Amino acid sequence: MAWRLLRLEPASLQEELPSSPEPEGFHPLEAPWEAKRGGGASWPEPLYFVDGRERAEALVAQGPRLALLGCVAAGAVVLKGGRTGFLDLRVRRVGVGLEGALWAGELVYEPVPSLGEGLEGLWAGLRAAREALEKEVAEGLEGGLLVVDGPVRLLREGPLLGYIKTHWAHYLPKEQEALLEALAPGERTPAFRVRRKGLELASWYLRLPLPPEGVRPPLAGLLRVETPLHGPFLELADLSLGLFPALASHPVKDPRAPQNLLPVGGLERELGRRMGRLEVVGRMLARHLGGGR
Amino acid sequence: MGLVLGSREATPLEFWVGVEGDGLLRLDDLVVVEGFHPQVGRVRFFGMVDHVAKVHEGEGFDTDTFLAVEGKIPVSLAYVAHVSVTRILPEEFFPPDPGSPAYLAQGEDLELALYYEAMKNQRGSTKLPAGLLKNGEVAYLNLEFLNGVKGGHVNISGISGVAAKTSYATFLLKSLLESGVLEDAHQAKVLLFNVKGEDLFFLDKPNARLTEEARKAYARLGLPATPFGSVAFLAPPKKEGYLPDVDTRLEGVKAYHWDLVQFCQRGLLPFLFADRGLMTNLGFLVAHVTEKLRRLAEGQKGPHLLVEDWPGGEASEGMSFEQLGKARLKSFSDLVRYLEFKLLGPESGEGEGDRGWTARQAKGTLEAFVRRLRASVENLGHLLRGDRPGNPPDPLKGEQVHVVDLAKLSPQAQMFVVGSLLKDLFERKERGQYRGRVFIVLDELNKYAPRDEESPIKDVLLDIAERGRSLGVILIGAQQTASEVERRVVGNAAIRVVGRLDAAEAERPEYRYLPASFRQRALILPQGAVILHQPEIPVPLLVHFPFPAWATKREEVLEDNSAEALRREFLG
Repeated sequence: MAWRLLRLEPASLQEELPSSPEPEGFHPLEAPWEAKRGGGASWPEPLYFVDGRERAEALVAQGPRLALLGCVAAGAVVLKGGRTGFLDLRVRRVGVGLEGALWAGELVYEPVPSLGEGLEGLWAGLRAAREALEKEVAEGLEGGLLVVDGPVRLLREGPLLGYIKTHWAHYLPKEQEALLEALAPGERTPAFRVRRKGLELASWYLRLPLPPEGVRPPLAGLLRVETPLHGPFLELADLSLGLFPALASHPVKDPRAPQNLLPVGGLERELGRRMGRLEVVGRMLARHLGGGR
Repeated sequence: MGLVLGSREATPLEFWVGVEGDGLLRLDDLVVVEGFHPQVGRVRFFGMVDHVAKVHEGEGFDTDTFLAVEGKIPVSLAYVAHVSVTRILPEEFFPPDPGSPAYLAQGEDLELALYYEAMKNQRGSTKLPAGLLKNGEVAYLNLEFLNGVKGGHVNISGISGVAAKTSYATFLLKSLLESGVLEDAHQAKVLLFNVKGEDLFFLDKPNARLTEEARKAYARLGLPATPFGSVAFLAPPKKEGYLPDVDTRLEGVKAYHWDLVQFCQRGLLPFLFADRGLMTNLGFLVAHVTEKLRRLAEGQKGPHLLVEDWPGGEASEGMSFEQLGKARLKSFSDLVRYLEFKLLGPESGEGEGDRGWTARQAKGTLEAFVRRLRASVENLGHLLRGDRPGNPPDPLKGEQVHVVDLAKLSPQAQMFVVGSLLKDLFERKERGQYRGRVFIVLDELNKYAPRDEESPIKDVLLDIAERGRSLGVILIGAQQTASEVERRVVGNAAIRVVGRLDAAEAERPEYRYLPASFRQRALILPQGAVILHQPEIPVPLLVHFPFPAWATKREEVLEDNSAEALRREFLG
């Protein structure tokens, strides 16, 4: 039996449920617990930013079985010699839950496994495919400092920074969390230890400038940065104060400002462009998988 | 070179091309794109770039450029060019596919793009060099649209002072006379009117400022970088005496004037009345008196006009009776006074004029006529004389090029000279008295053929514009503003040339034949560049023409001090 289109643009089916695990034992790496300034260090070169995008394009069914067709993309931006450029942009169409490749006109969806049961598992599979692609891109980069969008999930030779834009998890006890509200733009908290999936990380919060300054919710403009604990994390923490505020986006131009960094914004736009227009993809899927004989 | 873009409409008549990498496409570049359809086969689209742009694509905010320069965001630079199609071969009007490669048209493709291969007749090529394109290739115009076969006349617009109108007209003449494309070039005659300064008075002298580069340009055009060989210079005489009234050129200039008998016989009186149309009665009277004068002068040899009924007692000094009882009119003012006498009667008393002359016109009309005549004595007294045999310019005899100076004349006298010469010339061509082609170069057409007024001279110009091309009389007219020139005079010009224009002027309907981008560019045209429009090519061409090989002022004249030249000068 052939795969048939069940639903286009299934993103609306997915309910985003932020998981918010409780903080494990809090372990500061610096003392005393107070706002820190710095950021005079010059940026290392080359400076890489890696990011990826995923997009669910259609839900298809073969009898009772479901598969999620999606597109994942990842790439890098490199800052070198005062210029920025794209590096290694990859786009891949995947069918989560397929057993063999699925053709829809010119589009080819490669099979990737689903991670878990039901719709949740399909989406998790798509996310995993995106993360795998990001990892592929990141592994191809040599030297310099690598900045990844999201938590640190891999290790590499050179220095590595991950940054988290939204803060559902609480890493700090109530007492220390008060400092977050007091942070001024360009200041950071002392570093603390984070353990996740066998990784030992150093992490800290920093406040990005978010014009116009004024009364803001405490989480606005807050960025959590992490780096492997075994690296020169204090040095990197100081560097991050110079790096992230300089690359913060402006709220006029980006609804996710200031945490969505400028080079990454450009990268995401370019990746989106390479993924193709969703309307066009949908039309092709409808033509080739949308019923009829 | 690039690809046809799919993000913008690609049509058979215009499309956009994206330029890749280090590619270069400029305004005026000619490109060719190949299209294919299984039903019609291979089709080639030739076109000219008329708009180029670079933009950071996808960037919605102007300030993103600052971020890009600071190296904070990656940007994608798009370099696009708009192509106006000039030709489709074969003529299948379907659009080219986005993504089709676009190439620069060169060599044969360029000829096809600009229809050069069609510029020929049974006897050979009719490609007349008309300047150089930006890429160094020669721009041609089809001689058949200039010499009267399929079309004729040239019209040049442009503000003065940016050396375009006269320079381009003389360059075109050079090409006509010496490129060898015009078959009977040796028979062709040129009448050039010099309207300001003495720019045209050194056409026969080499230009000392001619650079090596300009020489090469001439060589590429296939033209000798030499001044005009056979030129006669004619200037009006000074108000006193007979010497030509010129400042910068002292040798080789002849003074011209008409004698009274010629004036009467050729019926030149109407050209003294520029505003004839304003009063029809006056117009009638002018025609009548012209005819009377013609009859009066019949059989006379001149230079003075003999009249029978001039009352000697009232004649002023200088008048004397001849044996036959006739009086001599020895100057234009004598003629005017004679006419006054014939029309209004003796000065003393309330006499009446000669009924044979007054043509029953009311006294007011007669007086107006005489008033105007009297006023013209000061302007034309030195051009219309009874004391010497007249030698008006005769562009059909002698040298190939005749330069007639008008610069120092009053507007009325300018009108008279231009009108008389053109009328005479046109009538002789009409009667088939000269076989070769005649090219007339006249600047300030807005004065001679104004849009809103009537004048005898405008009639002659209209006649030339409308019938001249079949008679071999070609007008190369120029003006600052085509909007002020009679529509039919401009409209009959097959070849149109635009030099630098005034911004307001460029927006007038007279220039609508230019695409918007060319109208914009007409405002910033540099020296030595003009926009050339000809009937066969659907887009105008921006052409450069070389610095004149002939001097345009005294300082530019290359002095020839060789022994040979000196011997020629002294020994004649």
